[in-house]
Amino acid sequence: MQVQEPALLRGSYTGAWAGRRRRLAGRAALFLFLALVGVLFLLPFYWMIISSIRPVADYFNLPMPIIPQRLSLENYQKLFARTLFLRGMANTAFLAIVSVITQVFCCALAGYTFAKLRFKGRDPLFIGILATMMVPAGVGMIPNYIMMSRLHWINTYWPLIVPGVANAFGIFWMRQYCLSVPDELIDAARIDGAGEFAIFWRIILPIISPALASLAIFVFLGTWNEFLGPLVYLRSSELFTVQLWLSVVSQLGEVKQPFVVMAGAVLASVPILVMFVTLQRYFVSGLTLGSIK
Amino acid sequence: MTSAAESLSASRAAVRRRDRWWRTVSPYVFISPFYITFLIFGLLPIGFSLVVSLTNWRGTARPQFIGLQNYATLLQDPGLPKALLNTVYVWIGSVPTMIFLALIFAVILNSRLVRGRNAFRTVYFLPQVTSLVITGLVFGQLFSTSFGLVNTVLVAVGGNAINWLADPRFMKAVLVMALVWRWVGNDMVIMLAGLNSIPGDIYEAAIVDGASGVQSFFFITVPLMRPVILFDFVITTIGIFGLFAEPFVLFGPGGGVKQAGLVTGTLIYQYSFQLFKFGYGAAVAWVVGVIIIFFSMLQLRLGNREAT
Repeated sequence: MQVQEPALLRGSYTGAWAGRRRRLAGRAALFLFLALVGVLFLLPFYWMIISSIRPVADYFNLPMPIIPQRLSLENYQKLFARTLFLRGMANTAFLAIVSVITQVFCCALAGYTFAKLRFKGRDPLFIGILATMMVPAGVGMIPNYIMMSRLHWINTYWPLIVPGVANAFGIFWMRQYCLSVPDELIDAARIDGAGEFAIFWRIILPIISPALASLAIFVFLGTWNEFLGPLVYLRSSELFTVQLWLSVVSQLGEVKQPFVVMAGAVLASVPILVMFVTLQRYFVSGLTLGSIK
Repeated sequence: MTSAAESLSASRAAVRRRDRWWRTVSPYVFISPFYITFLIFGLLPIGFSLVVSLTNWRGTARPQFIGLQNYATLLQDPGLPKALLNTVYVWIGSVPTMIFLALIFAVILNSRLVRGRNAFRTVYFLPQVTSLVITGLVFGQLFSTSFGLVNTVLVAVGGNAINWLADPRFMKAVLVMALVWRWVGNDMVIMLAGLNSIPGDIYEAAIVDGASGVQSFFFITVPLMRPVILFDFVITTIGIFGLFAEPFVLFGPGGGVKQAGLVTGTLIYQYSFQLFKFGYGAAVAWVVGVIIIFFSMLQLRLGNREAT
């Protein structure tokens, strides 16, 4: 908040000068504080990256040097040559893309319907959707598992894709955005004889593409980082997602190779970090939606 | 001729009727995917889980109805109070710190007092995009007894190495640090949005009246930010009660040494998917679910009160 100092508060020339120096010192202190916190926040990233490029020999070289004398890519070589890590990355990418397409489509269609179409029971139905956001997912975990096993969906991707369609937040988000689309546009299309679905597909979708992008990012991030679902439903290691692979490998016999796990963690973070840095504003707009009306 | 015109108008009427029918029905079709999936994978399992919680189902044999026995066992099970107590400790350690830091960071980064504000915002938010599993793994490495950065530094400055991940006195501290690290940026971004909505002339007026920066913070920023602070409080509280991946990765599903890292999420997982006590696990899940719903209701109540 830039606030101009009112003239009446300015003292004599020397007083102003001393105040100026004091303010400068204050600003420097603030900056140092923020920078120190920033370093602390980056330390885990530093340790993750540096561990991934350490030679395994560092293990026998205790205390472990904070800055390794020698760097090596052997952990990455092992990761590619001896593990199913790359398979896990590909699996996760596949899952994330399928989830993005199905969820964004269903949420946009429902959100548009709630924002722009008139039908009986619209408001109670919408409130019903919002109310489902309060239902804690954990409660249904066991019956869901039993149901999935009856459907013979254990060890498939179906339990990780299908229930995600009930994305209340996504519908809410899309509805808020669709409210700003002018009604005249829809009425004009209707007079021209466009069908209800064609109006959505040809006219609405292109207009709301920024909101689609935001939601797509959130769904992608959520699926990429999802852990509990894959842990419960996936059995064979060829189907593992990258998060599941990381957690399983870190708890199994390969513990002697945590550097390899760190190499995996680095690579698993790369897609998300790249997305975050390039698409930062979409992240922030989605986060703040719930808090400020 | 006339009959052709008649049939044409009749078919037009049919088309119109069909259009009208579709216009009434299409909204319901468009919103149906949500309701169908929610009914099958959301609502049905919750009702079903209440039924399962009244049985002794262990996944294989035919389940028997045992009434409220699971809930009675639950009252004597040291696991649940342990997990709840651990969660409360973690809450006390992390949430107030998180909210306080987030507010401080947001106020500083919202002012024009420092350079590079965007860079700081990005750095503080960065942990939020790393996955929960990776957060657990990286903190496990940072605090590893013999290989971790923290102990290396501790020993270098003359301290003793601490057995962070296997000493009940320190296990929760590691979890708290991981949580604060990952969530502060999230709370900060929400606070920043809140600060944006405070009009600047209030501060100008305060300066004219001779208020110091600290006074403006406590008498203007904090009261006006109350709804946003509450919102942050509630979402982080719900998040803490839903903890799973970080303690799972750091301490395993059993909660590690003396169950010091056991939380409700890992407890339910352990009962259901490692011991295959489906009935009992469902009972625990219900109790935890009621607690979470309580906090969600609280959020709704607070939100409504602030809005009116």
